[in-house]
Amino acid sequence: MKFFSKRKKFLVLIIGILVVLSLNFFQKEVKGFFYFISSPMQKSFWEAGGNAADFFNGIFQGGNFKKENEELKLRIQELLAENASFSELREENEILRKALEIGLQKEFRLALAEVIGKDIGQDSVLVNLGSQDGISEGMPVITQEKVLLGSITAVYERYCYVRLISNKESSFDAEISDSDVAGIVKGQGGSKLLLDLIPQEKEVKTGQLVLSSSLGGIYPKGLLVGLTGKIKRSDIGPFQQAEILPFVEIKELKEVLIILNL
Amino acid sequence: MIKKSLLFLIVFYLLVLWQTSFLVYFDIAGFVPNIVLILVILINLLEKPHKYFGILAGFWGGFFLDIFSSGFIGLNTLILLAIALFVKMVLKKHVQAPVV
Repeated sequence: MKFFSKRKKFLVLIIGILVVLSLNFFQKEVKGFFYFISSPMQKSFWEAGGNAADFFNGIFQGGNFKKENEELKLRIQELLAENASFSELREENEILRKALEIGLQKEFRLALAEVIGKDIGQDSVLVNLGSQDGISEGMPVITQEKVLLGSITAVYERYCYVRLISNKESSFDAEISDSDVAGIVKGQGGSKLLLDLIPQEKEVKTGQLVLSSSLGGIYPKGLLVGLTGKIKRSDIGPFQQAEILPFVEIKELKEVLIILNL
Repeated sequence: MIKKSLLFLIVFYLLVLWQTSFLVYFDIAGFVPNIVLILVILINLLEKPHKYFGILAGFWGGFFLDIFSSGFIGLNTLILLAIALFVKMVLKKHVQAPVV
């Protein structure tokens, strides 16, 4: 039995497309509804995915554990030495603060959100806080370790999307710690970052810490972005570029903090 | 027909949920495989050229990808429908089924 004639099939297809496109007028309601009914299952999938990934990583990387352990031990020793010098500096800093009567840096007001999904190919994640929790577009998102993740883009009633700094549309001002080198961090997609527009005369080394700068007014100053990787220098261009190795992988994200007051 | 359409709706809804929340942990060089796209192509390749469930698969697959993405609704629907129609057109015009 022929259910539809060819012309009718085509008409049904066109109507279907028009209906889907018209849903954009109620995008917040439609997406909000689907996220609401799907969130328990999505959360379970997200947790199951994390557990499965941990299990397989354990199997495939078992051989590297010894080497990694030794490297980490060395790193701990380095950090302990660094920490000792920092405590001295902190004491000195506090004395100077008191002397100059400078208040402590303004603390952020934060909201804790759980990651429940990722937008494939867009470098953005879906989290379980929305407009009813006081979330609005543009709010910065960080991890508990003060690593910059990105900013809020689309806000629904109970959910919102976080555009990660690795998204191709993301760019913001940043600086290299303990130096006067500044540049612009541009998202490259696929969790990749690039520090661009570094003046040619500045010296940049691999492994330097990149921090956010308050210059563009998008993010607060001093949030961790990553470590510099491969440096790209050109004899012709006025600027050099540095790849950035991010501190966080999307897979490792379970909870994020949204800064409510910038 | 309606039964099969409903089945496609449920299958693609679950598949998109699985892809956006479970499969993201298993990326290959930073890219997560788009299982929905692969399934839509496979359905269109394997079904008889005059049938249209492959197009329905493209529609539902694209629709749910749109719902669980941050972009506007309709982009993935149009892309997957175009791919489904393209595969069908190529099969109809340029591939001849072997005579048994």
